[in-house]
Amino acid sequence: MNTVIALKRGISAEIFKFRSTFVFWLILLAPAFIPTINLIVFLRRGEAILARSGTAWGNLMQFSNGPSNFLFPFFVFIVALYVNNIEWSSNTWKLIYTQPLHRLNIFFSKLLVFFGMLFFSLMLYGALIIAVGKIVNLANPTLGFGESFDFVILFGRCFRMFLATLGFASIQFYISQRSKNLILPLGIGIGGIISFMIVVQGWEYAAYHPYGYHILAGGLYEGARTILLENMQPIYLSLGLMIVMVGIGAYDALRKRII
Amino acid sequence: MSNLIIETHNLDFSFKEFKALSQVNLQVPEGSIFGFLGPNGAGKTTTIRILLDLFHAKPGEIKLFGKSYEENRKEILQKVGALIENPSIYKHLTGRQNLEVIRRMVDVPKARVEEVLKIVRLVDNADKKAKNYSLGMCQRLGLAAALLTDPDLLILDEPTNGLDPSGIIEMRELIIRLNKEHGKTIFLSSHILTEIEKLATDVAIIDHGQIMYQGKLEGLHSSELLELKIELNQVDAAANILKGLNYTISEQNGRSISLPIETKVEVAKINKALVDADIEVYGLKTSAETLESIFLNITKKLDQ
Repeated sequence: MNTVIALKRGISAEIFKFRSTFVFWLILLAPAFIPTINLIVFLRRGEAILARSGTAWGNLMQFSNGPSNFLFPFFVFIVALYVNNIEWSSNTWKLIYTQPLHRLNIFFSKLLVFFGMLFFSLMLYGALIIAVGKIVNLANPTLGFGESFDFVILFGRCFRMFLATLGFASIQFYISQRSKNLILPLGIGIGGIISFMIVVQGWEYAAYHPYGYHILAGGLYEGARTILLENMQPIYLSLGLMIVMVGIGAYDALRKRII
Repeated sequence: MSNLIIETHNLDFSFKEFKALSQVNLQVPEGSIFGFLGPNGAGKTTTIRILLDLFHAKPGEIKLFGKSYEENRKEILQKVGALIENPSIYKHLTGRQNLEVIRRMVDVPKARVEEVLKIVRLVDNADKKAKNYSLGMCQRLGLAAALLTDPDLLILDEPTNGLDPSGIIEMRELIIRLNKEHGKTIFLSSHILTEIEKLATDVAIIDHGQIMYQGKLEGLHSSELLELKIELNQVDAAANILKGLNYTISEQNGRSISLPIETKVEVAKINKALVDADIEVYGLKTSAETLESIFLNITKKLDQ
């Protein structure tokens, strides 16, 4: 119980220190980027898009899915960098590690806040996609956004993406915590994305590339809720990688010399 | 003998091949202002980081409040406040918000933030962003954060480093007040001798990772060391001769050289050596040694 209370205190302090920072606005505004563009596209070109094929919601999902698969990793890199760089740039690692809390408590407080930020942003992103459909429906009811749509699938897909992201997010978190260098984690992350894009063209082991799990776990936003539980391999791989990386990070937090 | 707040037992520490500390045995009495003195790179900050468990010592090498970090980390750190080298401050937050971050971690009542702001006299500037603080204000804010848990021991690493004269005086008064009025034991590292001389009740001198002296401040002065000031014409040549005789130059300018000596007999020996080298000696004056020359004599740093 004491551990839970201490963790709560650590998380509370972590969240507090991000007020009025860039990352605070990033997790609020970044999820709005793709929905805002889609809102403009569907308001202005909705009829032309829907004339081709598919349902209104299905088209909106497709228009959201592609860009988010590409952009979301960059968001993860930046947030991972920022939650750790706030300590590097303020020279505060030694401050937080001399507080009467277990070292693992400090490590997990930061990690959980980081994961929480990713989760919050993805759920906000899902909510904003729904908001786009609703607004377009108000402006032009003939497009078909008034039809029923299972939002559980939408949020379920967002949650799958969250789980499939935790693997490479843990790598980024670990590197950003180890290194004061800003370029190194970004370089590794971008290298990861590009190398996945190359190997996915035909390499038989591409499915094991950690920077591609979130893409491989995606798919069309259609069908019954049961599809949320299909194609679980990328998610299991991501969670397995997360456990390994968090284990390494936690061991490191216990042992390392704090400068 | 009063209780020991900090004890180290044959503390060794290395950075890969470099041995930073060797057989360090510190005993810091309760209620003291313990000056930890040493030149830059002597091992002061490494010792402090070990005392705060930022670097791990081997089991049994250190005890704070009679307890070791292996079993009592949280309990020890609850009673220790620290200010290490440069201020650790979130510049985008105000002074009060910085304290709130730490308050949330250590779980003390909100009213404690106001109390520590009053102790360090930062109430008027508490709602300013820390990026607009002077270095002195940053140091005081760091001290306020260290005081949040009302610790029994304060470990301060070079707390006056980089401060202007008024900032130094303020910090000094604050440290004395925390010791006298609030009953804190203070472990204070510095390479500024006059600071230690004005503050400390006990001192340890460290050099090359080894403790060269430990005890009461008065104990240092009670040694019968003298300082010899020589006025002469060829200062550089004289300095070389004195170094050749294994003396440590504590001060040197265009007209004179100062150095610590142990007995007045050495005055004649030095004078003869200089005159034999055709150096004109205009004056020889001995006085009780300053802490500075004691320190230099112990560490023999300046002329190496």
